[in-house]
Amino acid sequence: MNKENVIQELQALAAEGMAEQREEASAAPVAEPAGEEEAKPKKALPPEPRRNGVLEVEYAVRGVHLDVQIKGDQVVRAAQILDEAGMTLEAITGVDWMKDQELEVVYDYSYTGGPCFRVVVRARIPRHEPTIPTVSEVFAGANWHERETFDFFGIHFEGHPQLEYLLLPEDCDFHPLLKDFKGC
Amino acid sequence: MSSQPLSQNQEYFELNLGPQHPATHGVLRVKLLMDGEYIVDAEPVLGYIHRMHELMGENRSWAQYLPNMGRLDYLSALSYNLGYVELVEKMAGIEVPERAEYIRVITTEMNRISSHLLWFGAFVLDLGGFTPLLYAFDDREQILDLLESVTGSRLTYCYYLFGGCYNDVEDDFLSGCLAFIKRMRTRLPMYHNLVTKNVILRQRLEGVGPVSAEMCRKYGATGPVLRGSGIHYDLRKNEPYSIYPELDFDVPVYPEGDSMARFMVRMDEMEQSMRIIEQAIAKIPEGPVMAEKVPKMIKPAAGDYYHAVEAARGTFAIRAVSDGKNQAYRMKLRSPTFSNLSLFQEASRGMLLADGLAFMGSLDLVIPEIDR
Amino acid sequence: MGRANSLWPMTFGLACCAIEMMAAGASRFDLSRFGAEVFRPSPRQCDVMIVAGTISKKMFPAVKTLYDQMPEPKWVIAMGNCAISGGPFVFAGQYGIIEGADTFLPVDIYIPGCPPRPEALIEGILELEEKITGNRRWPRVESGLSQP
Repeated sequence: MNKENVIQELQALAAEGMAEQREEASAAPVAEPAGEEEAKPKKALPPEPRRNGVLEVEYAVRGVHLDVQIKGDQVVRAAQILDEAGMTLEAITGVDWMKDQELEVVYDYSYTGGPCFRVVVRARIPRHEPTIPTVSEVFAGANWHERETFDFFGIHFEGHPQLEYLLLPEDCDFHPLLKDFKGC
Repeated sequence: MSSQPLSQNQEYFELNLGPQHPATHGVLRVKLLMDGEYIVDAEPVLGYIHRMHELMGENRSWAQYLPNMGRLDYLSALSYNLGYVELVEKMAGIEVPERAEYIRVITTEMNRISSHLLWFGAFVLDLGGFTPLLYAFDDREQILDLLESVTGSRLTYCYYLFGGCYNDVEDDFLSGCLAFIKRMRTRLPMYHNLVTKNVILRQRLEGVGPVSAEMCRKYGATGPVLRGSGIHYDLRKNEPYSIYPELDFDVPVYPEGDSMARFMVRMDEMEQSMRIIEQAIAKIPEGPVMAEKVPKMIKPAAGDYYHAVEAARGTFAIRAVSDGKNQAYRMKLRSPTFSNLSLFQEASRGMLLADGLAFMGSLDLVIPEIDR
Repeated sequence: MGRANSLWPMTFGLACCAIEMMAAGASRFDLSRFGAEVFRPSPRQCDVMIVAGTISKKMFPAVKTLYDQMPEPKWVIAMGNCAISGGPFVFAGQYGIIEGADTFLPVDIYIPGCPPRPEALIEGILELEEKITGNRRWPRVESGLSQP
């Protein structure tokens, strides 16, 4: 696996998304330099939602080598890039950022063919319309992970072959890991 | 013998396996579509023991979440303890004394052997042999006695704390481990003679449930399933943590990818775990077992953190999102058997039902860990 | 009630406690010394249901059906804290589990522990025998602790 290639391709992908973002908001500043997330003081309140881009983060602290944030509709292409590099999809999950009115979908990739290399791909989608394309065409194992994320967050994976409740009962009508879930 | 062509003009029928079925090792349910004795489609239905671990991670403090780790995969609970405390230590920057690291490795590997022993007994039971279960439980009880003497519990351990271990081990424990290893070295050849070389077992396992390395990659399968498909991948080697880099051990890999390969990987891993324990006992230093300064309230810097360890069934990883408070904002638990089982539907097509169950047993499922 | 001498439990494990139930039946603890080792996979052949583990809301209908399928007379042992009250998985706003088997089953014996030791399960079965027949077949083991 050529790490440099993967990093370059992901950077190019994220840059595409950033260009679109800049068009949308003409006054948006340039992308943050790599590593800024770590440099932030601990008590910086409230942290701005991160802008899309590729960060090489400190593995010893974060447990991943590469932290990629892209637009929701780019996750399939990111999966294809990492699939061609021979990487494995380890897990998919969500995070509810209620105060930003956004949901984050997090994809954890690892490399099983040699020295450890971990990539996390994340995409933020609006909370009121949580829709993101499925990557189960690329990684068959994503099927269950996406169903689980649908259970917990109600995120709709477009094109998923069988988007039904996986862990929760078939007839339930709530998504327990949303921050405004109050029990039932 | 496992993949016969399916006839087209026959009618299929549905069969419901579980959620209460002894061969599924708990409360897994499998919706089967059968063509006579052959599986057309097998869809696992999960969630019968979903226990809200991830939600619990968000509403209790980092320390209060420790006991949950013993109840995820109760057969190798200490690997899960280890993964979680190492994650929080990484987040909070806590240094662990060297003696504690050695104790952690010794106890985790003992737990791994006991987990594999239970799998061995239950797997052969699935295939119709009852007696090996009694032998395996006999050995397993020896381990549980030793672990109970240091951890205080038999199954759902909560032994590691942030910064070390709950208490120090006595010399009795260490000599007991060595005595167990001596005994186990005489038992393993017996298991190989009685079980591994048994022609019935071989015919039930060889060539059954082939899983290719590519399929493992697509589904994210790890642990003995991946190593049974010829991939040399063990987080203790590939992404070393704790004191594993200082210890000399091999990673058993079998290229065949069938149930027999997964069987052999686990049998050989028991021997490797014993090697690890022996070296760790020879090297264990004196000293404290708890770090001196461990904050009572752990408040990691905001951000997300990932940590993975090699549990008995594969990669167990936690992704914790912190917002700087004493509890997690989001706690994602990535359990190995969830991914390992997800390939069952594709891999079991065209198998005999009896072979399908042998294949399922060779994946070594622990249902509460799949459902979380 | 002759059947009290040899209760047939159901092979029915839900979670962690099921492993201790297996251990109770296996070589060291050897439940057959007390006549209760004949674990039946079918509810139609069972006398006693050992609820060993957490009952999730998804599993609840299956547990209920299994109990209903058992022939009379039948008994229920709630093994472990989850089966007694929900155990460690009860918290405000929980959505997944049934808080105790006694919310829908007539439980005869409660065995606390997380999980209970195999000895505790054996003691539970002896208690059930005593409940059925009115006298205890085996001598009671004194704890050695002074009673308050």
